[in-house]
Amino acid sequence: MPKKNEKTEELYKLAVRYSKFYGGKISVTPSVPVRSLDDFSIWYTPGVAAVSRAIEKKHELSFELTSRWNTIAIVSDGTRVLGLGNVGPEAAMPVMEGKAMIFKYLGGVNAVPLTVNVHDQQGIFNTVSALEPAFGGFNLEDIESPKCFYLLDNLRKSLKVPVWHDDQQGTAGATLAGLLSSMRMTGRKPSQTKVVFLGTGAANVATARILSVAGFDIGNIVMVDSKGVLNPDRDDMDELMLHNPWKYDLAIKTNGERIKGSLKDALKGADAMVAASGPGPNRFPKEFIKGMNKDAIVFLLANPVPEIWPWEAKAMGAKIVATGRSDFPNQVNNSIIFPALFRGALDSRASTITDEMIVAASSEIAKYAYEKGSTEEHIIPTMKEWEVYPNVAAAVARKAVEQKIAKHSMSAKKFHDNAERIIEGSRMTLSALIKSRLIKMPPQ
Amino acid sequence: MAGVESKLRYRDARNGDVDTLAELVVRLKRLNEEFDSMLTVRDDIKVVSRSYISSAVKDKNCIVIVAEYKGKVVGLLKADLRERRFSQPMREGRIIEFYIMPEYRKHGSGTEMLHHAIEKMKHMGVQMISAEFPSQNKISVQFYAKQGFRPITNIHSKLL
Repeated sequence: MPKKNEKTEELYKLAVRYSKFYGGKISVTPSVPVRSLDDFSIWYTPGVAAVSRAIEKKHELSFELTSRWNTIAIVSDGTRVLGLGNVGPEAAMPVMEGKAMIFKYLGGVNAVPLTVNVHDQQGIFNTVSALEPAFGGFNLEDIESPKCFYLLDNLRKSLKVPVWHDDQQGTAGATLAGLLSSMRMTGRKPSQTKVVFLGTGAANVATARILSVAGFDIGNIVMVDSKGVLNPDRDDMDELMLHNPWKYDLAIKTNGERIKGSLKDALKGADAMVAASGPGPNRFPKEFIKGMNKDAIVFLLANPVPEIWPWEAKAMGAKIVATGRSDFPNQVNNSIIFPALFRGALDSRASTITDEMIVAASSEIAKYAYEKGSTEEHIIPTMKEWEVYPNVAAAVARKAVEQKIAKHSMSAKKFHDNAERIIEGSRMTLSALIKSRLIKMPPQ
Repeated sequence: MAGVESKLRYRDARNGDVDTLAELVVRLKRLNEEFDSMLTVRDDIKVVSRSYISSAVKDKNCIVIVAEYKGKVVGLLKADLRERRFSQPMREGRIIEFYIMPEYRKHGSGTEMLHHAIEKMKHMGVQMISAEFPSQNKISVQFYAKQGFRPITNIHSKLL
């Protein structure tokens, strides 16, 4: 695909040039008027001392009297950045800045990128814990597996604000949304759908867990890695028990039929496949798809090149094919999940993000796609269909209320309108800055 | 889905179990290897495990117990019966190999199997019971502590 490579090369060049021109992608802007410097005595000393004292008496007030209610940190140690691998915290920064920009633009969330020079899991745990007073939530990003599992599990338990790991939960949520939509189109029910996962990295391990919460039968899930089908008789089980208990747990709970062998064996009679293994093409023989059930659903999520080309999967009988790429139909993209999910979690002041909240987000996205008229080539909304975001935020917030982990309770309609107002405000602010040329157009 | 529906059954090992038991010994030794490089298994581990377990099954100075699930051997416990030279009580049963397949762990199977072995050894006149396992195996440390065992001897090693 020489054409695609040329396009990517061009984007690489532009990104470096523009990054230099703008000096990064985000900045901090006050949210209060400064009519004259006299206002400083309200926003800062002496006035601010009273605000401080109020919060000292009641810490909860930090969510009302400071921007904490709408501010999260994006924390990364830079060990697993995009497809680049371990590039370190400095090099992870442009990616985290980009993430912060998306958070603001699509979700109206203030996200502060914090790339840290701490790499052991206890160290990162302590760092994030120490930052809790300043933030309303945490988005862990691009941290290698299995460290990321440990961090998410333990920070979720220990902190009183939502902690999210986008590579796990965001991908799981987006994948589930795509699956639910595809299953509706092909007349499948979660409880009877056999799903095969290729790759057992953070994304697929998390997706398998989320699927079991969403009504799929975990025994009907089969996971395949480079050593073949995951099953409890495998030689590497004890190694997994010690070093990756999350995968170990899945090895015991999934694959009720106790299939052994290769991907080919796993795909026989499968309804859906979720591949998040490694860049393709030709990652596995396309003929394997033939063994799947009629109207098979095939997600090929490796970046930058899917495991096999989507048209190959279609030629082998797949009915619905999705990838991680924006230039093919059906992009399974975390950006459809995380901005709205955090919007909903922050607006309801949820103390955590439960798996059920993720399922609520995915279901809402699938519902939206269905109501708008989904097709084989359009199973999930794109980021352009931004009216889906307030819907998702409201669904997430209501779920938090239902689960009694929310401090704020409103009707779905009010959550929706509130989210819409905040997200719209964020977009309007940016467009006002562009119109007034305070943000310039990029150089030619 | 498959899972543990009924409890495991425990019985003495037979000659017919040797192949499966040898595989379990290999798994155990590979697990031990995870804890310390000085426990790296030798290349001919399969061969030595087989001959080791095949003679153990016949040996009067040790016991070999298997755990079965629906007729399939899924666990192994081998203990040596020893005479203590300088201390009392004198008759000791020392657990040397103890392994249950991952799927059949938890649900109290380890405790059950241990108790089965202890009962058997008691009948054979054993007065105290010990267990050998890698120092770094925290899971075993916790397991035996819960069963009332405490460390009495340390073996420290270094490569030459």
